Amino acid sequence: MTATHTRTSAGGRRGRQRPTAHPPRHGRGRSARRLGHLAHFGLFGLPSLALYACIVLIPIGISVYYSLTNRNPFNPPTQWVGARNYQNLATDPDFWKVLTNTIVITIFVTAASNVIGLAIAVLLDRRGWLYNALRGVFFTPVVLSGVVVSVIWQAILTDDGLLNSTLRGLGISDPPGWLSDPDLALYTLSWIVTWQMAGFCVVVYLAGLQGVPHELYEAAAMDGAGPVARFRSVTWPLLAPSVTINTVMLLISTFKIYDQVQVITNGGPGDGTTSTIAFDVIQTGLVGNRIGVSSAIAVVMLVFVAIVSTVVLQLLQRREVKA
Amino acid sequence: MTRHTGSRLRPLVATFVSAVFFLPLYLVLTNVFKPGHKIIDAPAALPLPPTLDSIRQVLTRPDHLFWYGLINSIEVTAISITILTVLSAMCGHYLARSEGLGAKVMLVVMLAGLMIPPAVIIAPITEVLRSVGLMTSVAGLVLVNVGYYVPFGVFVFAGFVKTIPIEIEQAAAIDGARRLRIFWQVVFPLLRPASASVLIFLGVWIWNDFLNPLIILGPAEGTTVTVGIYRAIGEHQQDYGAVFALMFLATLPILVFYLAFQKHFVKGLTAGASKG
Repeated sequence: MTATHTRTSAGGRRGRQRPTAHPPRHGRGRSARRLGHLAHFGLFGLPSLALYACIVLIPIGISVYYSLTNRNPFNPPTQWVGARNYQNLATDPDFWKVLTNTIVITIFVTAASNVIGLAIAVLLDRRGWLYNALRGVFFTPVVLSGVVVSVIWQAILTDDGLLNSTLRGLGISDPPGWLSDPDLALYTLSWIVTWQMAGFCVVVYLAGLQGVPHELYEAAAMDGAGPVARFRSVTWPLLAPSVTINTVMLLISTFKIYDQVQVITNGGPGDGTTSTIAFDVIQTGLVGNRIGVSSAIAVVMLVFVAIVSTVVLQLLQRREVKA
Repeated sequence: MTRHTGSRLRPLVATFVSAVFFLPLYLVLTNVFKPGHKIIDAPAALPLPPTLDSIRQVLTRPDHLFWYGLINSIEVTAISITILTVLSAMCGHYLARSEGLGAKVMLVVMLAGLMIPPAVIIAPITEVLRSVGLMTSVAGLVLVNVGYYVPFGVFVFAGFVKTIPIEIEQAAAIDGARRLRIFWQVVFPLLRPASASVLIFLGVWIWNDFLNPLIILGPAEGTTVTVGIYRAIGEHQQDYGAVFALMFLATLPILVFYLAFQKHFVKGLTAGASKG
């Protein structure tokens, strides 16, 4: 997602103004040009915009409206309650727990995937069939669905799963309850998502590494820089665009995490120890039918995503320019 | 470590790390071809002799979960990505070639759609679909996919159209070709790399999508294969052979599709990753 975003904004930065696609023929005035433009919009732009509006924009508007009501389809009538849903959320410990869980998972996955992805990319940054094949290994989980990845890891990590039976075979009589221990489950879940997303970072970092001019390494080596110094002064600064892509992409995609929670833990163990915002929105709204409350959570989520991704993008792009 | 030992150790370290990383996938693959009791007794062992029992069990389920899911998945994915490619190519072209304030605002509004979590809009969407009678239908899911993913397509195409010299279009316009014909016969063929990126990304995302088909298709009208896996683990949690076989079969089509277009996937992913 973000990959192309950077490309587009780079294109925008170039800022070259291009003439319009269809210059008016001679002898026709401004109104004809405007008509041509309108036809271009109506034929090319409008269908996409209309569908996008129906599926995204209008539902966001409905969500905002519902968040100000006590809507529950099985308990009419729907009444205007003003900001009460938001006020209740602000003092609801369950909501803060869900928000905290989501932030923990998001930071964990973003940081761990970046670190692991970069380490593996540096390891695999060589030519040859072996390294090509190994790259494929790391990328496979990225193409798998969240449901498939969830079921695989659930089979491994449940209390009697493949990992714990192996551990018991090795003489560890009381292996951890990876998914049943309330203190552990959130981190286990984060590791599973990290395993899936790391390959994404590997591919982006590898492309970044291959874009680093070889002469720079040679120059640094001639100046007496060791491998660590070379990485710090040459590789790392030039990887800035890759860091931006990975960080923004992971923040956005992890913050809305739903599939893994639904399939692996269903929000548990215990009371919402692994529940995330997206999961809470669905549980409260579509399972619990409290559409008013769930819409308020959804709006908070939307505002959060918008602020965080804008701020992070600004910060990281400033770093890119400096580098 | 010095360069010399590094070059000898690197293939070994790389292979070892990859093997550890691959272990979960190996566990699925090997147990698809093993009889049930061996999965419990020796989960990590090679499937010797291999058996197709689990695969056969999934293919011949009396409720046809896999086959119905497969047909739904293919239908939803194929129709969605075809419409998405056509619409977003045209919209991307419009936005890339227009300079008015309106087009700029429209681009920003559409790009904002890239970060909207589906959970935020799914409840109102079900009401919109119900009001037009498209809830629990493939058509309804396709409509949602198109509306939700069109920003991504627009994004890729708008960026790509800018790299195509406008003179090509102007020449065709002077020859008197109409706008639509210019687009389809002159511009669209030049957009092939962008189309490939859009097809493969959206194909994988839509095939793997869980929340939208779970809620929009509902149990009555069948499910996609991805949702089918979720329903299957609810029924027989302990029968790993059957669950793994279902996952294997559900993933195979999209994996083949991905491998066929792989080059474009990685290229699309890494565009902009290196300063050029």
